[in-house]
Amino acid sequence: MINAVLVFNNAGQPRLTKFYTQLETSVQQRLISEIFTLVANRPNSACNFLPLPPLLANSSKSSTPTTPHNDTPSLVTYRHYATLYFIVISTSTESPLALLDLIQVFVQALDGLFENVCELDLIFNFETLHATLGEMIVGGVVVETQLDKVVDGVKAQGTVAKRPVNEGKGGGLNFGGFGRGDGVWTGR
Amino acid sequence: MFEKSLYDLIRGLRNHKGKEKEYINDSIKECRKEIRSNDMDLKSTALMKLTYLEMFGHDMSWASFNVLEVMSSPKYRHKRTGYLAAVQSFRRDTEVLMLAENQLKKDISSPTPTVISLPLGAIPHVINPSMANSVLSDLLPRLTHSHPVIRKKTVATLYRLALVYPETLRPAWPKIKERLQDDNENPSVTAAIVNVVCELGWRRPQDFLPLAPRLFDLLVEGGNNWMAIKLIKLFATLTPVEPRLIKKLLPPLTKIIRETGAMSLLYECINGIIQGGILEAVEGTAEGDEVARLCVGKLRGMMVIEGDANLKYVALLAFDKIVRSHPYLVAQQQDVILECIDDPDISIRMRALDLVVGMVNSENLTAIVGRLMRQLRNAPIASATDGPNNDRVRNTGVVPYAEEDDSDAEESLQPHEQRSDQPPPLPEDYRVSVIRRILDMCSRDTYSNITDFEWYLDVLIQLVRVSPATKAVSAAEEDDIEQTDDIGAGIGRELQNVAVRVKSVRSEAVDTAQSLVFVDKRDQMFPSSGNGGQGVLEYAGWLVGEYAIYLSSPEPVLNSLLHSTSVQLPSRTLAVYLQAIPKVFSSLASNDQISWTPERQTLMSLLMARIIHFLEPLSTHPSLEVQERAVEYLELMRLAAEAATGTATGSEHGDFTDPPLLLTQALPALFTAAELNPVARGAQHKVPVPEDLDLDTPINPNLQFLLSQAELEGFETDEDDVYAAYIEPTGSYTETGGQVSVSAAERLDAPQKETASYQNAAVEEEYLDPDIIARRKAERKERYKDDPFYIDPDADKGSGAVTPLSKIVRENNSNTDIDIDSIPIMDLNLENRGPSPAGNHRTRSPRKVPKRVEIMGDETLGPPDESSNRDDIVSPRHNQSQKAKKGLLQVDSSGLGSLSLDDGDDNNRRKLTRLEVERREAEEAEMRKALAEVERKRLEMQRESERIAVKEEAVVVRKKKKKVRKADIGGEEGEGEGEGAGGADADADADADAAPVKKKKKKKVGPEGETEGDDTAAKKKKKKKRRVVGLNGGNE
Repeated sequence: MINAVLVFNNAGQPRLTKFYTQLETSVQQRLISEIFTLVANRPNSACNFLPLPPLLANSSKSSTPTTPHNDTPSLVTYRHYATLYFIVISTSTESPLALLDLIQVFVQALDGLFENVCELDLIFNFETLHATLGEMIVGGVVVETQLDKVVDGVKAQGTVAKRPVNEGKGGGLNFGGFGRGDGVWTGR
Repeated sequence: MFEKSLYDLIRGLRNHKGKEKEYINDSIKECRKEIRSNDMDLKSTALMKLTYLEMFGHDMSWASFNVLEVMSSPKYRHKRTGYLAAVQSFRRDTEVLMLAENQLKKDISSPTPTVISLPLGAIPHVINPSMANSVLSDLLPRLTHSHPVIRKKTVATLYRLALVYPETLRPAWPKIKERLQDDNENPSVTAAIVNVVCELGWRRPQDFLPLAPRLFDLLVEGGNNWMAIKLIKLFATLTPVEPRLIKKLLPPLTKIIRETGAMSLLYECINGIIQGGILEAVEGTAEGDEVARLCVGKLRGMMVIEGDANLKYVALLAFDKIVRSHPYLVAQQQDVILECIDDPDISIRMRALDLVVGMVNSENLTAIVGRLMRQLRNAPIASATDGPNNDRVRNTGVVPYAEEDDSDAEESLQPHEQRSDQPPPLPEDYRVSVIRRILDMCSRDTYSNITDFEWYLDVLIQLVRVSPATKAVSAAEEDDIEQTDDIGAGIGRELQNVAVRVKSVRSEAVDTAQSLVFVDKRDQMFPSSGNGGQGVLEYAGWLVGEYAIYLSSPEPVLNSLLHSTSVQLPSRTLAVYLQAIPKVFSSLASNDQISWTPERQTLMSLLMARIIHFLEPLSTHPSLEVQERAVEYLELMRLAAEAATGTATGSEHGDFTDPPLLLTQALPALFTAAELNPVARGAQHKVPVPEDLDLDTPINPNLQFLLSQAELEGFETDEDDVYAAYIEPTGSYTETGGQVSVSAAERLDAPQKETASYQNAAVEEEYLDPDIIARRKAERKERYKDDPFYIDPDADKGSGAVTPLSKIVRENNSNTDIDIDSIPIMDLNLENRGPSPAGNHRTRSPRKVPKRVEIMGDETLGPPDESSNRDDIVSPRHNQSQKAKKGLLQVDSSGLGSLSLDDGDDNNRRKLTRLEVERREAEEAEMRKALAEVERKRLEMQRESERIAVKEEAVVVRKKKKKVRKADIGGEEGEGEGEGAGGADADADADADAAPVKKKKKKKVGPEGETEGDDTAAKKKKKKKRRVVGLNGGNE
């Protein structure tokens, strides 16, 4: 099953956190930053699977290799779209390649809902983001993988807000001067 | 009043760049106000903002009651916000969870599908066992809801219910199965059910065998790759319990492998064939060979395909599973797999590393280890300050700071995944894990793969040099830290193991340990930066002590052990050093064949003085272990020193004079009683307890008296006797009595020519030694003479064949020291001391012929048991601490393992359970009746008591009640809260149609047929409780 779905941007700021088990807020944050650390250093050619972050690696060592499956999260899959990282943490009952497709469906669904989705859309409509995920995964179990059904399911819950007009593309807000959000964090 | 929407909050954050912390705190303060408002819009907006901030780690647990309020709003928009907040913020210990139950039940029964979806999505996050049972009855009808979306979500929710309370699966399973068997069911629902069954399946595969035909049909029908993947995964767990499935599955699986265009499906097919044991089952048949060839061929294809790292990764995963059962199949792919060890991608490297550990054998061990060593050596060791990138988030924590680059955030996510492209640094933990694996591979099966132990010793030395630095620990917490985690210690353990187990290389191993212990060689032997590898000293220290007779130069070793820097070592290492010092000393001093000349006497006295000088400050060391050993050996040394000075010396060239017995007999006897052999873990337990062993009778009934007497008398007299016994070698025992021990510092100050003689002695030792050194070197030279990789620093003089490689290195050498990094291989000559006199060559069998090395196994009694597996060689550290830590992110489904779901065809045990279920159901029905009655009575009484106690007295209770009412949550919960916790609470929460667990348990304890009594008892209890409240009210 899927243990958690995370979305954060290039600077490690969370945009969506969904843990399918109850976890202390502080532990959640630590996990996010550990995964971000892992993912931020990945080169271009690298595969989309992460080694387990230290928090999870410790717990997985005790698992018995006798059974083919167990409850321990053993797979961290990610995809990187523009400014955002999409992360799925799962146990061995999920197929790694299928999870990659699942993330793709998720992003496509968001794109269908927002029309050319970008990080801003997700920041301002994080409820919709959750709703979309809720149409695909319930309690860690994938319940829908078909794009149109996911989109329909979200739309049935009410109209999806567009991004605020004055935040439009190439909009007036100009906080520019930072590339990629790199150097910013070092000073903080 | 100014109100902020979520939009305003986010905008505000952007506009307060640099001051986000204050801004957030202000916003949370505002939210606290707003959330108390009566305006539901305002409330829900505030909650939304809090939920947004929660994502960044800002606690909102204080708002859990307000979450409940918003959840109960009739407006869908509010509800959705409330449910999202509940999912994101409720934790196991959230108190209002009990109150949420009714709201959940109510919304599940809503006529609007979108409303039903909300609790369905939320229940998996908030459910607890007592709630599970009560919610179940509302969930089950949703399985047949007209809307497929509701049906599929219900299935998933039911699964999570079963996880927290397995019994709920019993009534739910038949209905889920019905959905699955229904051919006309919506494919989405079927797929969801398959997903759930796949999760359930691996726990108890036998229960799901009856579904096999249906699942098989679904697989063959095809159409949905997602579902096919899950089906294959499910079948892989079913085939081991039902081998007949294999024959059936093979054709469709091979068909998919041949035809499918979806890589994921192809991979899972192969994976399923491997994991389901299909490969083994059909082994030997023509068909089986073909399948194996097909699978391995496809996997190889995945590895070779240019540019797709993901396929490479999963192929390695699959190989890892094959390697256990079919090592030869994997060995054929060795070339591509070994390639992956050097892959720039850490994830792939890790997988490859896992894999090669499984495929190693005596032939490829050297090559694989060589590859890994090269990798370690070529990457510089990162010091702690090296990685600001790595630590930045950890140190600062994430703050939702202003979006400084909007242009970025606006970048469309659609086109393609984007990836940065700097090469990754070699992370520390990877380095550690490589070293661990090397040790693991080499020590596998008690070193069965190693043919050349001297090579292994060199590898170990090299590993010390590339060890990453361990975190510096202050002396205070040093003891708490699990030092076994240190990789240096791991290497040390190996060194120790080799020395103990392999007698033929013991002297080499001790030599290695000796070179590690030398203080002046430390720069050479250890990483230049950080404290990497220092853990090895603990074991090296032990080795030089325990096998002191093998030492080629014991005196420098002793000097190094006594070096002033030793005091700064970790206390564990220091304790080992303390133990080693007298051992080495005793090997130096104990020779009774050499006459006790004045020279020898001064030499010994000097050595002992230095030891005493070293030990004295340690007798107040903070570590108890160090302190105790220091004090013990300090006394022993003083004793020995006195004996040495007190024993008359013979003349330089005269007759043989016996050295003091304390040095030649007593001291060695302490350490050389029996040789240490490896003992299997757990062997100690098997030592039979002697029958006549009586631990209960006191050894001396007069102990108290003796002790007090001893205290009175003091030590003087006894001591003298002891002294006498040891010191008197030839009867010439002089003036011990009055002598007070002199401090070591004083002794060192004494104007004697000791320093000179010490120097002399050292030179002499060096002088004596070279034949040993030379022999070793010569052996090496001889053995490696046609090894192109062997580097001989003084090949000019030596007789070794000059290879191109060695020539290059030699040229380098003439200018500078050996530049380790420029040497293309890992096989280093680590002997670099002293000139090599020609001659003294001893021929040994050349390297070509693999030596038969005798490796000692563990000693044990009786048959070896499981706990004595060889896993203790490298790392005995897992298990204890980590098992406790297990739970992170993990959903525990172990409860499902004991829940039988099969259809009860003929199973006896099954019938029993069915009986049990029936009985339980009957019980529950009765219980429900009783509880309903209790509830009715209680409400009546409550109303009554409320009527009586309206006024001033029950203010607190009433206040709370009011709130709850407003939240529109059933009155009985409000009551429960008002009353506070208590046994009655469980009853209060009982619902009309399902009994709570707590009650049921109570019920089960009681004997059969007591239901009636229980019932009335419960009533009475209620009444009593009521009365108390009423009484309080009346009194006040």
